[in-house]
Amino acid sequence: MKNFFSQLVKKEGFKSVLSSILCILAGILVGFIAMIILACLNERQSIGDAFYGLGILIAGPFASGTSAYIVSNLGNMIFYAGPLIMTGLSVAIAYKTGLFNIGAAGQFLMGTLASLSVALHINCEGNAFLGVIVWIVAVLFGMMAGMIWGAIPGFFKAVFNVNEVIVCIMTNWIAANIVSWAFKGMPELVNAGSGKSGYLITTESTFNGTPTLGLNKLFAGSYLDLGIILAIVLAIVVFILLTKTTFGYELRACGANKYGARCAGMSEKRNIILSMAIAGGLAAIGGALYYLNPGIEFKFDTAYSRLPDYGFNGIPVALLASNNPIGVIFVGLFIRYLNMGGTNLTSAGYNNYISDIIIALIIYFAGFSMLFKNIISKLLKKKEKQPTLAEKAAVPAEPAPAALPDNAPEEEKKEPVSDEKAQEGKEA
Amino acid sequence: MSASEYIIEMRHITKVFGTNRANDDITLQLKKGEIHALLGENGAGKSTLMSILFGLYDPDEGEIYKNGEKVQIKDPNDATALGIGMVHQHFKLVECFTVLDNIILGKEDTKLGFLQKRAARKKVMELSERYGLSIDPDALIEDCTVGMQQRTEILKMLYRNNEILIFDEPTAVLTPQEIDELMQIMKNLVAEGKSILFITHKLNEIKAVADRCSVIRKGRYIGTVDVKTTSKEELSEMMVGHSVKFVVDKDDAKAKEPLLSIRDLVVKSKTSRKNAVNHVSFDVRAGEITCIAGIDGNGQTELGYAISGLEKPDGGTILLDGNDVTHKNVRFRAENGLSNIPEDRHKHGLVLDFTLQENMVLKRYLEPQFQKHGFIRFDEVRKYAEKLTEEFDVRSSAGVDSTARSMSGGNQQKAVVARELDHQHNVLLAIQPTRGLDVGAIEFIHSRIVKKRDEGAAVLLISLELDEVMALSDRILVMYEGEIVGELDPKKTTVQELGLYMAGAKRDTEKKED
Repeated sequence: MKNFFSQLVKKEGFKSVLSSILCILAGILVGFIAMIILACLNERQSIGDAFYGLGILIAGPFASGTSAYIVSNLGNMIFYAGPLIMTGLSVAIAYKTGLFNIGAAGQFLMGTLASLSVALHINCEGNAFLGVIVWIVAVLFGMMAGMIWGAIPGFFKAVFNVNEVIVCIMTNWIAANIVSWAFKGMPELVNAGSGKSGYLITTESTFNGTPTLGLNKLFAGSYLDLGIILAIVLAIVVFILLTKTTFGYELRACGANKYGARCAGMSEKRNIILSMAIAGGLAAIGGALYYLNPGIEFKFDTAYSRLPDYGFNGIPVALLASNNPIGVIFVGLFIRYLNMGGTNLTSAGYNNYISDIIIALIIYFAGFSMLFKNIISKLLKKKEKQPTLAEKAAVPAEPAPAALPDNAPEEEKKEPVSDEKAQEGKEA
Repeated sequence: MSASEYIIEMRHITKVFGTNRANDDITLQLKKGEIHALLGENGAGKSTLMSILFGLYDPDEGEIYKNGEKVQIKDPNDATALGIGMVHQHFKLVECFTVLDNIILGKEDTKLGFLQKRAARKKVMELSERYGLSIDPDALIEDCTVGMQQRTEILKMLYRNNEILIFDEPTAVLTPQEIDELMQIMKNLVAEGKSILFITHKLNEIKAVADRCSVIRKGRYIGTVDVKTTSKEELSEMMVGHSVKFVVDKDDAKAKEPLLSIRDLVVKSKTSRKNAVNHVSFDVRAGEITCIAGIDGNGQTELGYAISGLEKPDGGTILLDGNDVTHKNVRFRAENGLSNIPEDRHKHGLVLDFTLQENMVLKRYLEPQFQKHGFIRFDEVRKYAEKLTEEFDVRSSAGVDSTARSMSGGNQQKAVVARELDHQHNVLLAIQPTRGLDVGAIEFIHSRIVKKRDEGAAVLLISLELDEVMALSDRILVMYEGEIVGELDPKKTTVQELGLYMAGAKRDTEKKED
């Protein structure tokens, strides 16, 4: 057991997970301190409210009052996590290729535009099969629009070496304006009833929304649908793509050392464009999944003035997950969990803005994950010195392949092979 | 005790990493005013020992004394306070700062928050003159030669009034002339009362400057000897544990048809208006090692880039086995028989954040042996990497799962050489293939290159090391200011004559117009 643990702590993945958890705890702690300060400043609140608020924050959707609310909030939490996972994946895969995709917001919008333009134009009332087909086509159109949109900064980066961040920011605002302009040209899609202005109709009236598979009944009163399952599947696909395939190997090589990749015969230009296209496609699927839900309305008339939060929240999600696609699933769910808790904070006397600040603080701490990781590595190194030599002799050399359990310890006794270069290299 | 004859004494130092004793009861005594060499193979524990002295690691056992008094060195600040300074093998300079800024960085004088550079400049220039360290204080580091960068590092130590100077393999990156200069600088420093610890595995340099030499092998202390009374052969035997041949065993070359032909090649310089490679033509024939000799910066790097396909030439043609590959990409050339040991292993040779096994298939991951339907066959990759690391004795802390970054420079180089030599090829482009390696490893790699030649490969060696050029090549082409200025037969020429060609004092060819 002890062996198992000492092996575990040496794993890179374990360090990443631990550092992410520490980030979250540090963020919650700072959020808590902020709540105490605010409670002290507000004469209608007491310190007790801060502790109550902390409890609500940690309880997330489970502090939503009646059981019916808990169920629907839990379902919505999972639903809202879907698009967040998609934009998180988008940022993560670009990052693995050494690119910072700050353009997920624009790609998300282009996905929304393309998918809604398809879905809302085809009324599938009474034909469930056609509805599913149209939904699939809509998602695919959204994805393609996002891929093209993502490929633009990739192209500029690869061919003209223009920083992708600059082009991404420009394409974000271009996308926002295109979306408002395009929908203004489709008056047939505008929701004329209901007294609201500037909203589109939803897939509720065209009967080609994302299939729910009964999930919205399982979590009664929520929007939950197939989208979250698709997001999880795509996260796994991205994970396999990055770690198991030659294409992923190339992407990672280009991200880690583009000169080395070029010298090995890889085309880093092609890989940059492809990576950004895939990133764009993923973010766009997020937009498509979000707005293809029958319950979500898209406000197009002001879209040009505001970029969707989902686009930017993908960045802390990817960071907190150390750009691991599987980690993105959990982090996406977790951030929505916290958000739900934040929304509930009003019952402790904090207003909506305060809860946003506290959530922002926690997300802000996500950026410290590397710092925490380094601290963990340092602490582990110090600890490594402590076990006695006798203890060490009992443990086979850590990388000893399973095939050689017999000679591994022996080898180590007779020859203290100087592979201290592991350490040498680090400071070089 | 304070009247100890040793300015620094490291007694019975032991440092264990995991299961591996990097330093095992090592004692090192540095006298005041001497140049003390620390000799050992790649990965013998030299850098670990120096890192302990510089406060980067805590020793598990052992003590450090300065002038006979016990001291604790917990971090580099403690080391600096004790007057210990270090020139790292890979310089720690800010590329976009000037030389002067780099020297004062971390020890700036300020008045009301404003930098007081005038006084600093005066002090730096005084030091520079006193020790013969010529620098241009206003040049940006990125524009400086490696030699000047190193002098900047030395001035950094002197500016901080350090008296114990550690040089970690300082000559690995220098040209022969710069090495001579550095040797002179080291002698000047000692004459002014500084004490020097000189980490190296080059015996010539130890013989040239060091007073005493401590040898460590596989983490253990072997002994300290007086350099004057010890021969090179004895030193190398202490270092590797067996006797080493300094001459490469090889038969006469049986040169056949040319496999690589360069015709009228032009590469424009990035920094000046001149051509970095100026209308160069030559052939590399099968079964022959052709060597491009020259002082660093005479167009060898650009020539290497053009041949490997990293950069497009501005004129001329490159024929690989009769095919015009001038405008083909790197992969095409690799698939058509070109192997390339690049000059800069960190930048071009390896992906440092990849594991050793991933690096071993960096060029071959698309071959059916290593992938199926686009999925990498990791078990095959592992087997292959384990075979290669065994064959080339690439040592690392976690086997083929270690990241390349965590390996020592010598082992990184061995990994690159292993990959490229094992890759099917008929032309081998080897640029500084033994950079940063110890004599044992150099001997091994030289013999493998000769074996490749005997198997019929055409080898183009680009090297700055004269010893390597003389030992390995069958034909020497000297490059000076972007042109081939002479062709020499290593059997008939001398190092002195080669030096004249390299310095541009002698040439057989007409100077060409740009």
